This record gives sequence, C-alpha cells and structure tokens, in this order.
Amino acid sequence: MFSIHCPYCKEPRDQNEFSPAGEAFIARPENPEALSDEQWADYVFYRTNLKGDHWEQWVHTSGCRKYFLVKRSTISHEVIEVATFEEIDSENAS
Amino acid sequence: MRLEKHASSLVDYTQPLSFVFNNKAYKGFKGDTLASALVANDVLYYARSFKYGRKRGIIGAGVEEPNALVSLEIGGRYTPNMKATEIMLYDGLSAVSSSNPHSIDFRAMIKPLHRFMPAGFYYKTFIKQKVWSIVEDRLRSLSGFSKAPLVTDEDVYDHIFQHTEVLVIGGGVAGMSAALEVLSGSKVARVILVDERENLGGELTNEFTTDQTATLWFQEAKGKLQKYRDEDNSRLKILTSATAYAWYDHNYIEVLQTHGTGQSMIHESGQTARKVLHKIRTKEVILATGAHERPMLFETNDLANIMLSQSVRRYINEFNVVAGKEIVLYGNNDSIYNTAIDLSKHNIKSKVVDVRASGNESEIILEAKKIGIEVFQGFAVLKAKGKSRVTGVEISQVEMQAKPPHWKSKWRITGDTKTINCDLLATSGGFNPVVHLDCHCGGKTYFDETSQSFLPQKERKERQVCGAVNSVGFWKDAMIDAKNKAQLTLSSLGEEVEVTPQKLTNRSHNYFNVDQFFTPLEILNKPKVFIDLQNDVTTLDVALSIREGYQSIEHIKRYTAMGFGTDQGKTGNINGIAVAAEFLDAPMSEVGTTTFRPAYTGVDFGAMAGREVGDFFDPQRFTTIHDSHVNSGAKFEVVGQWYRPWYYPKNGEDIHQAVNRECRAVRSSLGMMDASTLGKIDIQGKDAREFLSRVYTNAWMKLAPGSCRYGLMCNEKGMIIDDGVSTCINDHHFIMTTTTGGAASVYSTLEMWLQTEWSHLDVHLSSVTDQFSTVAVVGPNARKLMNKLCPDVDFDSKSFKFMQWRPGTVCGVEARIMRISFSGELAYEINIAANYGRFIWDEVAREGQEWNITPYGTESMHVLRAEKGFIIVGQDTDGSMTPMDVNMNWILAKNKPFSYIGRRSFSVSALNSNDRLQLVGLLTKDDQVVLPEGAHIISNKGISIGYVTSSYYSPVLGRSIALAQLKGGLSKMSETVLVKIVQEKQGLKEIPCEVSSSVFYDINGEKVDGNE
Repeated sequence: MFSIHCPYCKEPRDQNEFSPAGEAFIARPENPEALSDEQWADYVFYRTNLKGDHWEQWVHTSGCRKYFLVKRSTISHEVIEVATFEEIDSENAS
Repeated sequence: MRLEKHASSLVDYTQPLSFVFNNKAYKGFKGDTLASALVANDVLYYARSFKYGRKRGIIGAGVEEPNALVSLEIGGRYTPNMKATEIMLYDGLSAVSSSNPHSIDFRAMIKPLHRFMPAGFYYKTFIKQKVWSIVEDRLRSLSGFSKAPLVTDEDVYDHIFQHTEVLVIGGGVAGMSAALEVLSGSKVARVILVDERENLGGELTNEFTTDQTATLWFQEAKGKLQKYRDEDNSRLKILTSATAYAWYDHNYIEVLQTHGTGQSMIHESGQTARKVLHKIRTKEVILATGAHERPMLFETNDLANIMLSQSVRRYINEFNVVAGKEIVLYGNNDSIYNTAIDLSKHNIKSKVVDVRASGNESEIILEAKKIGIEVFQGFAVLKAKGKSRVTGVEISQVEMQAKPPHWKSKWRITGDTKTINCDLLATSGGFNPVVHLDCHCGGKTYFDETSQSFLPQKERKERQVCGAVNSVGFWKDAMIDAKNKAQLTLSSLGEEVEVTPQKLTNRSHNYFNVDQFFTPLEILNKPKVFIDLQNDVTTLDVALSIREGYQSIEHIKRYTAMGFGTDQGKTGNINGIAVAAEFLDAPMSEVGTTTFRPAYTGVDFGAMAGREVGDFFDPQRFTTIHDSHVNSGAKFEVVGQWYRPWYYPKNGEDIHQAVNRECRAVRSSLGMMDASTLGKIDIQGKDAREFLSRVYTNAWMKLAPGSCRYGLMCNEKGMIIDDGVSTCINDHHFIMTTTTGGAASVYSTLEMWLQTEWSHLDVHLSSVTDQFSTVAVVGPNARKLMNKLCPDVDFDSKSFKFMQWRPGTVCGVEARIMRISFSGELAYEINIAANYGRFIWDEVAREGQEWNITPYGTESMHVLRAEKGFIIVGQDTDGSMTPMDVNMNWILAKNKPFSYIGRRSFSVSALNSNDRLQLVGLLTKDDQVVLPEGAHIISNKGISIGYVTSSYYSPVLGRSIALAQLKGGLSKMSETVLVKIVQEKQGLKEIPCEVSSSVFYDINGEKVDGNE
C-alpha cells in the first residue's frame, strides 16, 4: 500500500484514502467536433503506459476530496513528487 | 525423551501441563512447544505424506517445519494447518494431525503405487483421457492438508496501525544489537522490534550451554531493551510471537502477532483478541531475519527421526528433549560439531559424518575430536535405512573432484559402503538466509559462493541486513555487523553519527563456510530422494521436469509443486535449485530462485478481516424514516450501503402478493415511498447552468426557476453513467439527484471536471444526500392528499405542472415539493430537512388513510417504472450502452455551443451500428411466464444475441413484462425471439417472446395529471 503525501492536507496518508484518476496532463480537446475519429479515440482511450516516472492524477477521496498530481515511478512505485494543479500551472507560466 | 533440567532451558519443570494429540493424552511443561512436548513423549509420526502416504516425523523446531501440521482445537476455535513447532503448549490443548499418520486411508493404500506416479501424473493420465470430470471430485478430496473450518470463528481479531522510524525484524542477537544501537544513537527515533518466537534471543539460546559470555550478553541486552521500553513505550515496542509476513510498497509491513499459546491475548490497546495484525509503516527497516538450515540429500531421507541438526540442538538446549539415543550427525559445515558437543554435555553419544575431507581443521572439529566424538571425514550418507523410521545409515567415502575451469566441482563416491546404526539422524547442508521479506517488494538476491546461499542484494534504499541473513553466523560477529548496519540506518534518518564500521572477527567456525552442495548424480538418480517433504517432490521429479522441457526454475516449481504448501519450501527449495543446477549442469546463480511473494507464513482469514465482520463488514446507512419501515414490517434490500424497504408484506403475504397489492394501490388510489436515498448534490455558482449543460446531454440554459428536468449523464466514451432529475432553485442554484448507488462516483466525476478541466467555472458542489429526507406521494389521489397536507401551495395541475417544484409548508415543516414521477402516475416528492423525515412520513401515512395510502418498496417501484419503460442505470444499462441504444435520442441536444461530455463519441460509426445491443420490451407468448433476469436471448443458431435486464409480473396489465438488450432490437419490433432459461426440474427450455416497445402501460402518458 502506497503512502501518498496529500499536497492539501500536507501529510502522508495511506493509499486507501485515495483513488487513482488516470494519467495527468491529458487536456480535453477544445473543439471535439473538429477532431477525426482517430484523434478523438486517442484522447478517450490511448494512454502512454509509461515504464518510468509517470505523472498521474489522484484524488483524496476519503479526505479533502481534492484532485492533485503525483509523479510516480511505475517500476519501483516510488512517489517522486506531488503537486497541486495550481503549482504546476504557475511553474509552467514562469 | 526428556533430559535432566539444565540452566539454559526455557522449560519450567514445576508447571506440568496436560494435552491431547491425535486423541491420546500426554504431559508436557510450561515453556514447551507442542512439538517439543511430543518429542519428549517419544511420538514419532506426525503426518502421512501428501502424495505417497508415507509416514513422516518431525524435522524442524520452528517456522520451517514441513511435516508436523496440526489442526488446533475444535468448533469455533478450530485452526487448521498450524505447525506443531510453533504452538506454545497450554493446559488442555487439543490437536490432531492434519493428515493422520495412523489411519489407513486412500493415500496409504495407494502408497505401493507411488513409483508409477511421477510429477504431472494426474494431469497426464486423466485430462488427456477426458475422464477428468469423473475423477476430479475424488482427487480433489485427497488434496490439501487440514479440513476447512465448518463453523464461524468465535474469536475476535484486531488490527493496529503502527508508525515508526525503524522496524527491526528478528529478535536474535543481530536484531537486539541493532535495536539497542538505534536507541542509543538517536534521541527521537522510534523502534519496533519484532520476533516470531515467544522469547527474544533467537538462536543465541543455543550458545548458553557452552558460552557463558553469550548468557551474560543476552541478559544485559534484554535488560537494556526492557528499560528503554518501560521508560517510554512510544520509543520501543517489542512484539514477540509476531511474524512479519509481508512487505509492501513504501515500507508498509504487516506483522501477525499471536499469544504464544494460540490463546487470546490482551494487546497494547487493552482489548482482548485471538491475534493482532499490526500494520506498520516505517521509515527504515533492519532485517535480522536469520537463516534456515537445509537438510542433506540421500536416499529415503524422509524416514521419521531424520531431523535438522540445528533443530536437534534447539530441542536439547531450549526444551531439554531429544528424539533418540544413538545419534548420527551428517553435514557439510561446522554446525554439526556444535550439535555433537552439546549432545555430549548431556552424556549423549553421537557420531559425525562430514563430507569434507580431513585437513585444515577448525577449532570446533578439533574440540569435538578431543572429547572423543567419532568423526568420519570425507564420508557421505548414501541412504537412510529403516522401514518408516531411521535405524541406520549407509555411508561411503567420497571425494571432491575440482574441475576447473568448470564452474562446479563434482563429487565421486569411492570405496565400499558401511552401515552405522542410529535412531536419530541430524543433518545440515548449510543455511538459507531468510531473504523472503526483502524480496517481497523488489529486493533481489545473489548467489554467494562462500556460504553457498542466496543473499539479499547488498544495497537497498531504507533497508539494512545484518546477522545470519547476511551470512554472518558467529554470534559475536552478528553483534558487530548489526551495530555497523544500525549506524547506517541512523545516518539515513539524518542523525549525526560517526559511521565507523568495526571489523568482524571471522572466527573459523562460521557456519557460513559451507562446502559445495553434495549432489552427485549417483544419489540424485535414486528414487525416494525427497527435496520437498510437504509436497512429496523427489529429485527424479525435477529430472523429469527438465527432460520434458520445463527448465526454468519457475517452471520446475510449478511442474513438480516444489516449494508450494504451508512451508513454502523453507527447507527444501534451495536444495531443489541445487538439484536442478546439477541436472542442468548450470551454476546456481544462473538457475536462480523462484519469486518470493507474500505471505511468508500462513495468515488467518480472521486476522485479515479483523473486526470488519458481521455488522461491521460494510457501513450500513439508514434513512431517518427507517424505524417506521421496521414498525410496518418492511423487508429490506441493500442498495449501495443503504437499507431500503423492499416490500411491506401484510398478513403473511409473500413478495409477489405484497408487490401486486402495492402496485395496484399506486395505480388505483395512492401510494407512498421513502426516496431519501437518492443521491443529492447541491450545485451553486454563477456558472451552475453552464456546468449542467456540459455534463448532461440535454439543454439546461432555459430551465426556469421553479422547474425540474430529467437529465442523462454520459462519459466521454458516450456511455450512460447516471440519470436523475435536477431542480432549478434559482439561476445560480440547482439540486441534482443521482441514482442511489451512483451518488459517490457521480459526485467524484463532477469534481474531477471542475478541478482538473474547468477550474475557471464558478461552480461549487456539495453532497446533500444526508441533509434531506424525501417522501414520495404517488397515485391518482395524490393531489387530494397534498391539498390537505400543504394548504399554502396551489396544486391545481394548470398552475403546478408536471416537472415543476414549489416551496411550501407541509404539516408545519418547510418543504420543497417536486412534481416528478417515476411511475407515470401523478406524484409529488416532499423534500424536508432530514430530521423531519420520520414525522412527515407518519403524518402522510395518517392523513392518507382516507385514500387507503399504501407504502411501497423498491420492488414495486421497479415494477411501476418498468411498466412505463423507465430505465434503471446499472440494471438496464451496463456501462456499454449509449443513449441511442436505449432509444433516447430525444435527450441529445443538437445545438449546445459547448460539446458536452460524450457528445463527440455519438458520431463515431461503431456507436451507430444497427448491430448494437438495444433496449426493447419483451412480451412472453404465454403471458403468465415471468422470464428470469439475466436470461439470454438466442439466435436460431443457439448463439446469444442479447439478454433480459428487467423482468416482472405486472398486476395492472395482468401479464409479465420484460426489458431486454437485444442486438438490433429497435428494428425487430413484433418479431418473435427465443429466450433460453433453465428450469429447476425440466432443464433447459426456450421461451418464445414478442419484441415490443419498452413502454407497456399508459403509452400516451395520460395518467400523469391524476384525478381532479
């Protein structure tokens, strides 16, 4: 069972308080109707299934109910970094 | 045989205990294990072997024991498959062998046939012959060990969450030293010390007889630990009779603690429990798990009274018992001499057979010779003699032929064989470090030539290994090793320590100077050389596996069942790898080990469940009206975690009679239902409207305050995930209802969109399911009752229309009244603050008597909605249904500017295929036959083309109705299809049905305004 540091509660908590919510940084297309079936399928179904350090979304289901980002090694399961969406946005902005 | 009391023994002769084993009464003492008490009583046989039915004796003294499996106690305290070596004796204990060695059962009868039954015998013989189905039951009854318990466990098990900086696993000399070093080197680090035995000390107790300094060190170390614990019990916890059995991600380790006797214990939180599962999260781990001895291999090495040398030593030193009088010790390392010397202290004569040639002798060999122990150096045991128990050994001179550049030296048997008589043979083929835990979560092993064993990888984050698991055998060296490693742990914790590793003494009788595995093919090719005693795997099984192409050690394991079972190959596995290496002519390192997975030892289901059994298995949710339902005699069904009234039987009605009555009442006069469990989400903010129109498929921008609307929610794949009615309170405030079971996941999904994609929308969600109670008043007379209950609202159908809501006062309570209907009848849902639920329900029931108001449950609700063809998400849909599939194209908005969730998928060609499963009605030709839900509709070729999703008897129609998913169903109206059902006695039957619209009753919706 993982131990995940919730960036909102600012504490490590056991995995069973959280739910995984898929790969991070997959933006919903601005104009879905303009996409081909293949491009739409790529957004809906296809994921990188990376071996290595992987950014994913988690939600603190039994806690603050906030969604946040976790960078996790899919090999060792080590959590390398956690961040809120705001933190990542401001990082990207600067 | 019991020996005279000596100083290092842990057995208390002043406290005799009585117990029963295999229906025979025995006596033992406090401090005995069940095994040591039985050895004291000269019990020889403990089991009949798994496959060949051979009588087996005891081999080990602890967790490694493969044979002496017992079922402890009976009834509600019955525990199967426990090791006799791990049960501390208590007065009145009662146990039976898991497979009774004295009964003449089927296994014993087939024993003479065993040489015709190699690995894979059953599969090859029966599956190929296609008679497996006939013999399977018979064979399955032979498999396994103890019988499963028949009655509910009467004990309580607890879980305790623990958090610590350092977890030391193993309470022997290494673990004790490491714990002390951490405690003295840090002022804050918390330590938990865990050991599977009842007492700390591990194998060090074996040194007490011969080494006074060991005794002194132990007493002092134990005293210091106890002092730390007593001064501050948050600083040090000592868990004994506690086995760390699994290591999961992020240093999460599970430890099962029992009272040594297997009786209930009072644990640290003051509760009484049979066992406690400690869930430990630690920053650092120090593994001091020790090593298990492995036996030597020779012919008929499975006879009773062939034991492990270190176990014989433990039985004498710790328990004062020995299983024989004429003892032969046989092995390839110095530990057998220690056992011989300890035996001599009790005036028991022994002879030593050592495969290693003489010359270059260590102190301990010289000492053994000096005290007159007869030693055969350069000799090997080829065969154990005896029928069921050992009576002697055949030995012969052997020679190692080193063959560089070949990777492995080969053995050759030279000279004639001679026989030595004995009644106990103790062997040692070296030691297997207990690397299991370290490998559970990614740790690797490597093969070490010096110790001829697989050692844990040297460096690993947040983990140190010390003592025997690190192939450090001599106790003083283990102490130094532990201190060195504990310093590294401290520095990893950020403590300022000087890491000054001390050198080991490398005293010559380090048990880990082991000679090469003694596996000459002359021995391996004999029958009855057992590798895995619990699963009856022999060397020839391994050879067969390899011959048949299963050469990877993982394949060999599965082909032969080597290392399966309750002991998981603790004694046999590494020997098995050595045997495979010999047959494959490959180095050990290349053969490698099988994968170590949790659990290291058996874990009781009761301990895993803890207190989460019975009423605590899952949270139970009740509406505020619940007691009233109970008083009305309702039967309940669990929906999500809610207990919802299912139906309200009256005067001994069965479910059908009750449901028919309830449905008729709703259709003809008046019914009432508790709808409080529907999920309710309060949605507020400037963009609430925009948000609804993004997550629902239909239009929301023009829904006026005072109105309600039905919505269908899909995911991006275009599949229906939920539905419900949302109410517009004002332009910035809506209340969404969800299905009862879907409330939590819908809420979470909505939050996801808001938090991850649409954070710029001004929308706030709050779950208010528990804040409101909802009483539905349903039927043609509903308006009359509402007029009576709520005088401040005009219920005239021209001013208070279907799909509208009004604020009002019901029986003096502020309420929101929604005019919505899940039955097609005139219906009002009264929403009040949750705590008024019971009051309003009872008032509605009382005031409604005039129209014979009838409470109805979920079953009638289902019938009523099915008559109208209303779907239930999750019953009539399964996550692969689009709105088109359920014939609800009308709900897909065409002109919304924002491409709502799922919309793009609706134009994907695959979702518009006519071949998809589509929702239709089914009318059985014989209108009294009710189809079973889940029954398949079959094509004329007998292939499934759909299935029944809902099926009921409709009292108002006087016939059965069903909803079904049928391939291309919407274009098959009025066609006849066959539904295949299984009847209890008559077997399979095909029922002809007509495909129909899914709306069966009040097709034009004329009932919704009720009676004026």
